[in-house]
Amino acid sequence: MQTQQLYRLGNVAPAIRKDALDVLPLDRRRRFECAKLVLQQSGSNGEGMVGKHPMKEHNRMKLGKLACLVLACVVIAPGCKPKNKRYNLRGQVMGKNVAANEITVKHDDIPGFMSAMTMPYRVKDPRVVQELEPGDLIAAEVVTTNDGSDYWLEDVRITDESGRKTAQAPAPPRALQPGERVPDLPLVNQDGKTIHLTDFKGKAVLLTFIYTRCPMPAFCPRLSGQFAKIHEDLVKTPDAYGKTHLLTVSFDPKYDTAPVLRRYGLAYLDNDASGFSHWDFASAAPGDMRKLADSFGLVYFEQDNQIAHSMDIVLISPQGTIAKYWSTDWTTKELEDALRQQAAQSASAALQTVGAGRSR
Amino acid sequence: MIRRAGSVRQWPWVIVVFVLLAGWQTCCEQSRAQRRGRELFQLNCAPCHEAPNPDLKKQPPKLEGLFQSKRLPSGAPATDDRVRKTIIQGIGTMPAFDQRLRDEDVDNLVKYLHQLK
Repeated sequence: MQTQQLYRLGNVAPAIRKDALDVLPLDRRRRFECAKLVLQQSGSNGEGMVGKHPMKEHNRMKLGKLACLVLACVVIAPGCKPKNKRYNLRGQVMGKNVAANEITVKHDDIPGFMSAMTMPYRVKDPRVVQELEPGDLIAAEVVTTNDGSDYWLEDVRITDESGRKTAQAPAPPRALQPGERVPDLPLVNQDGKTIHLTDFKGKAVLLTFIYTRCPMPAFCPRLSGQFAKIHEDLVKTPDAYGKTHLLTVSFDPKYDTAPVLRRYGLAYLDNDASGFSHWDFASAAPGDMRKLADSFGLVYFEQDNQIAHSMDIVLISPQGTIAKYWSTDWTTKELEDALRQQAAQSASAALQTVGAGRSR
Repeated sequence: MIRRAGSVRQWPWVIVVFVLLAGWQTCCEQSRAQRRGRELFQLNCAPCHEAPNPDLKKQPPKLEGLFQSKRLPSGAPATDDRVRKTIIQGIGTMPAFDQRLRDEDVDNLVKYLHQLK
């Protein structure tokens, strides 16, 4: 029977003989052996019909072989899986973050991987992120590790870049330009206390906007992480610490109440509540928040129970005027240097004024 | 004892087919839940837990083997309830996902986290 089966196998795949198995790569050998079992199974059926063996023994053999087949497939299958999986993606670039080497893509269904949605993807080749622009239609391959713990884009191709113009339409103009006074709108901070932007006159203020539920690491968590680093650095230089202030304003007042902001702030202050004297976390009533956003050119809107938003950082001078905006690329060091510089400039200007007054 | 040859011939096959079908059905359901869990993981967890971002206040811990140890990175016991609570309410700098995930999503995510080794 064995000879006959091998002979049959030889007819089916004459190029692969039993002795040739030894030189095949391991995965191919496994597949081959799996196929051999299938063929053996079909071969034994033919002989069983002739009735050369007792029926009981035959049934046991068939069952045994079937069990072997199932067992072999169960054992071999995981070994046959490729290391990474690849899926085709088609979608539109909604944004990019060069520093994080990420693009945000609004994509169609990716069968077997992800339903249609808008989400950030890391890109393997950093040059691609620089080349892509919001509005581009792209095709790419999503590559995931076998366990799904990591994923990224490879082989990104622009299929249509006519959407660039629309997507790159200028953001709504900021109502306030550098040099203009900041609005005096009421905010409620983490302690439930009403504060105003004008309360910080005499200090250089770094202001940004977030919502605490933001799950995108390149957005709000990044902003708060950068502010935390600046805060930690300023603690080490008491002079600069006393002349500066940090302010994080939430545009999600419905969810980000004072207790939520307090808990959020404590996480970024290493549970040291004394840090709130240098870094406030606040929100404004919806109407006031909209006015504040328009003043600084912040864009935000609700989408799928989340909030889509732009990233904006504002440096406010000790005189209460706008000194500088950041909304695309920046580094923590750049922000910190500008804040320190603003505080120092104002201090030296104040000294000069005092000096001039005395000399008169 | 007299046996009918037909029944002797057939019954092992009936059992085998039944077991295989039941197994296949279970496998399909499991793979659907697993696929959804993986999808949720990639969308909600992997961006922070699998891709280090130097600008974050703290680098979130890797989640492979989360349920293999007795305690979570926070020090709390590694139980389904505790992980579910962490996902829903957030912890430290990790945001709350209560407005983003439905209960069944959280269940699928927890099941998937069990498989991450």
